[in-house]
Amino acid sequence: MSDPVRAKLLSRIGKADDVVTLRSLRDQIHERMEALHAEQPAEQFYTDLNEVHDAFIRRAISLSEGQMARLGHGSPPVPYAYLLFGSGGRQEQTLSSDQDSGMIYGDPEEESELERVRDYFHTFGKMVVQTLERLGYPPCEGEVISANPFWCQSLTEWRAKLDGWFEEPGWEVVRYLLIVADSRLIYGENRLLQALKDHFFSDLLANPVIARHMLNNTMRHKVLIGVFGQLLKEQYGEDAGGLDLKYGAYIPMVNAIRLLSIQADIRETSTLTRIDRLYQQGVVSKEDHALYAHIFALFLRLRLMSTLKRDDGLYTNNGKLPRAKMTKELIDELKAGLKGVKKLRRFVQRQMTGRQ
Amino acid sequence: MVKKLILSLGALSLLFPAMAFADDPSAGTLNMGLNSIWVMIAAILVILMQGGFILLESGSTRMKNAGHIAGKTIFTVGLCTLVYWAVGYAIAFGSDNAESSISKFIGWGSYLFSPAVAAADGESLPSTIFFVFQLAFAAVSLSIAWGGFAERAKLSAYLVFTILFTALIYPVISHWIWSPSGWLFAEGAQDYAGSTVVHLTGALAAFAATVLLKPRIGRFNKDGSANEILGHNQVFGALSVLILWVGWFGFNAGSALGVGDGFFGYVAFNTQLGAAGGAVSALLISWLVNGKADIPTTLNGALAGLVAITASCAFVDPWAAVLIGLIAGVLVFFSAKFFEKIKVDDPIYALSVHGAAGVWGTLANGIFATEELATKLNVGRGGIIDTGSWHQMWVQLESVLVCGAYVLVVSFILLGIMKVVMGLRVTEEQEIIGLDLSEHGTFGYPEQMKKAQQSL
Repeated sequence: MSDPVRAKLLSRIGKADDVVTLRSLRDQIHERMEALHAEQPAEQFYTDLNEVHDAFIRRAISLSEGQMARLGHGSPPVPYAYLLFGSGGRQEQTLSSDQDSGMIYGDPEEESELERVRDYFHTFGKMVVQTLERLGYPPCEGEVISANPFWCQSLTEWRAKLDGWFEEPGWEVVRYLLIVADSRLIYGENRLLQALKDHFFSDLLANPVIARHMLNNTMRHKVLIGVFGQLLKEQYGEDAGGLDLKYGAYIPMVNAIRLLSIQADIRETSTLTRIDRLYQQGVVSKEDHALYAHIFALFLRLRLMSTLKRDDGLYTNNGKLPRAKMTKELIDELKAGLKGVKKLRRFVQRQMTGRQ
Repeated sequence: MVKKLILSLGALSLLFPAMAFADDPSAGTLNMGLNSIWVMIAAILVILMQGGFILLESGSTRMKNAGHIAGKTIFTVGLCTLVYWAVGYAIAFGSDNAESSISKFIGWGSYLFSPAVAAADGESLPSTIFFVFQLAFAAVSLSIAWGGFAERAKLSAYLVFTILFTALIYPVISHWIWSPSGWLFAEGAQDYAGSTVVHLTGALAAFAATVLLKPRIGRFNKDGSANEILGHNQVFGALSVLILWVGWFGFNAGSALGVGDGFFGYVAFNTQLGAAGGAVSALLISWLVNGKADIPTTLNGALAGLVAITASCAFVDPWAAVLIGLIAGVLVFFSAKFFEKIKVDDPIYALSVHGAAGVWGTLANGIFATEELATKLNVGRGGIIDTGSWHQMWVQLESVLVCGAYVLVVSFILLGIMKVVMGLRVTEEQEIIGLDLSEHGTFGYPEQMKKAQQSL
């Protein structure tokens, strides 16, 4: 099942000593993965690909630690957890995903140490982000990134931050909470993230205002299918005739499943795993489970077909499915899938409003 | 107090008996006076529609061309007036050649029109007011044509084409359908206020212009996909539609050319229904098809409803007016998509709003006109639904095809000659800088545009 070439490259990632070597490995592995993705089912491909991304990010963090030491900052003064949010958190990174990250560091024993510890991790966060940028991972445009002090804090600070969010849940705050819901440990101490998640889930479920805001946020992106069952394609510009797959299909589904999962106290982050758990907990029926899993696999597969760009050495894409790739069969599949997402959204709406 | 008043009035009537027993104006004079007031008001409303065109055209285009687009409308209305006075009116309504068979095709006489200062005995309307009303229509048709020129034509092209259109294109169509000696009038073509005469004529001249000028820079990509060039002010757009909508009461109800038994009220009533139908259906269809309710489409829908009901407002029942408007709103949406697909750049949507809806409105008479109203107006006959006869439909179709062909061919020839002789389009550099600067040396929005230039 596992590709021998990929396995070999994977082991070389763990041993790479510098960024230049890592970068050349990324370019090689991308070529290999692109060749593989025609032959493999989407789920398998994503598992393999995300294993590769994880390996790169881990190695980049570890190299940055060494670099910190060489620059005289010493080794990490307290344990920390490096988190991935967004598609990284959900293990759904494509060949061109950006960095969405954060850090939780342990509380120093002495209060007086806090300043020094904070300085270390702010510098460290910036260094990791820069290293990953050199590997071709563009930083998140929304600044949800470990180099941003807002997303790089001690456990106590994180808890206080969550408490503040729960007390005054506005639109922006709910966006943050949904980001945290997708967080996954990539490097460091798992207990720090677990502590944060315990805090997150204990207070969240009891708060009806947050639930309502989350529903609004979740429903924000429209599903790109019209009342006549037609696809709502891009009208203008160079993507005209294509479909905004990311925001019109993939994200609405991710959001809907995430919200159901939060309500059901499911802590897994990958959407497919969440769908499985929702079935196991009796939230969705057997038929719907099969339907949603099938649709999401379709979206994952199509996401690999969206327009790739190499922009300034960074791997990026615009999330749009180009017109040229939309065959008759594919359009029919998409329409059926989007209808399923509409059904899912109606279900979410009923679940959320019924419970209030 | 009251006593004093009565007393003094009594004294006055003793002194001046004429005050109490003045000569009553004849019923005919009163009638003429009432007609004059209404048609004059209608003419003013139609002239005010130019304000709508100024806002519509500038709001639908970019800041860098705003001053040019607004100002040229005032200039061309002025020039159009002079040309219509000197030549246009003579061709449209001149009756010196009434005996000759040429009068079926063009009028003759009344050049440099010099009307009587008052209505003659038995005239229902002074010819001065009739002239102003007709002139206002010519100017509207011309302003519709400018839609096809927007954002890239030279100012000199506007000047020359104003003369040619007002002298050679508009008055001919106007004569055919509206002059008592015109050949389509004789056949019973129903175009009450000008879906064909004014709107289709303007739209087809716009079509010829936009084809010859070619699309604006950046409107279409190499792979054939279109880019959206957004207008700079949607509020202008919405206001323009409201102004045009109000002006349309002059346009349609004024075309009764009198007060009479109050029939103009019925015309106004149907006009309102048609506009409403267009606005509603256009928003809904864009919502249903694109997933988003589109504001420019809604505005176009209201105008398309008005354009369509223009021909039929006096000939159809209220339910038909609603239906004509509703269909026009849907039609304008798909028509705009069609023109975009065949890569015709129509910045103000003139081809869809005035062209497609103008054709629809004219043909709608063939379907919905009632025998009763046709008889009342003594123009043509009832349509398919009322009479079961296709006769009126063929007459309407004939008038659309023949008038359309004339306008299209003559516009292409005249603009084609202009293109060869003087050129129609500004240079690429001028188009990018904007016509405010290239044609007039100053910006319509000086602060914003200077800032934009500095950052270039």
